[in-house]
Amino acid sequence: MQPKPRLLTILDIVTIILFIAAVGMVFFYAPMEAVMGQVQRVFYFHVANAWVGMLGFMVAAISGVTYLLKGDHKWDIIGLAAIEISFVFFFIAIISGSIWARGSWGTWWTWDPRLTSAAIVELLYAAYFLLRQGLEEPDQRARIGAIYAILSFISVPLTFISIRIFRTIHPVIIGSGAAGAEGSFDMSTKMLQTFIFSLIVFSFVFADLLWHRIRLGRLAEMAENLRLKVLS
Amino acid sequence: MIAGYTVIFGIMLVYIISLIIRRSNLKRTVSTLSDLEGEKK
Repeated sequence: MQPKPRLLTILDIVTIILFIAAVGMVFFYAPMEAVMGQVQRVFYFHVANAWVGMLGFMVAAISGVTYLLKGDHKWDIIGLAAIEISFVFFFIAIISGSIWARGSWGTWWTWDPRLTSAAIVELLYAAYFLLRQGLEEPDQRARIGAIYAILSFISVPLTFISIRIFRTIHPVIIGSGAAGAEGSFDMSTKMLQTFIFSLIVFSFVFADLLWHRIRLGRLAEMAENLRLKVLS
Repeated sequence: MIAGYTVIFGIMLVYIISLIIRRSNLKRTVSTLSDLEGEKK
């Protein structure tokens, strides 16, 4: 078992400090939005969670391509780690978005193109874990997992652009949204600073968790190899 | 807002705890399997 790298400890500390600062900015620095009130504060971490979700799915697709090209199992471990983290964060984005929708649209859920495509993304990646569970042989599991991660990633940019190409009530934060979008608001300078800072902080959170999850994956691989040795 | 941030912090915390528990369990498994492998030799 490898000892925890010093750089990872530093990353842990920096991430915790940045996260506390981001929470402080959301609650005490960003002004309250005039129309939606306090519920709008969910927006900062809602978008940041969705960002981590999409970032991780992209990392998994790149890892999948690299695994198929090189055949090195470390890329399978990275891909699985990225998808697991992104699955959790994307789930948080969907639930927190639903809470924001209740305050902004008056409903927890609507079959809007963005909400529907986000639910499809989450289900696609839930199936990734089920697929891996069903495959015993490590090489086959890694190869099929890589192909699935690449194909599933198609749904991610589609979800991102869904609010830009379809008629939707979901607001577009960056760029101009549809005429029927509800919950849109003009960001003041302090709101924009908090929003961008939250995105940066959650990128740190993702990097930190990814490193920890990769170490966990290596440990699981070590346990699997040892089990095979003992049983042989 | 409180419900939103309870969900955000709650799920993140549960995930971090799951990572810690899984790591601890795997360390124990590796240690046991290493002992078994040593006895086998």
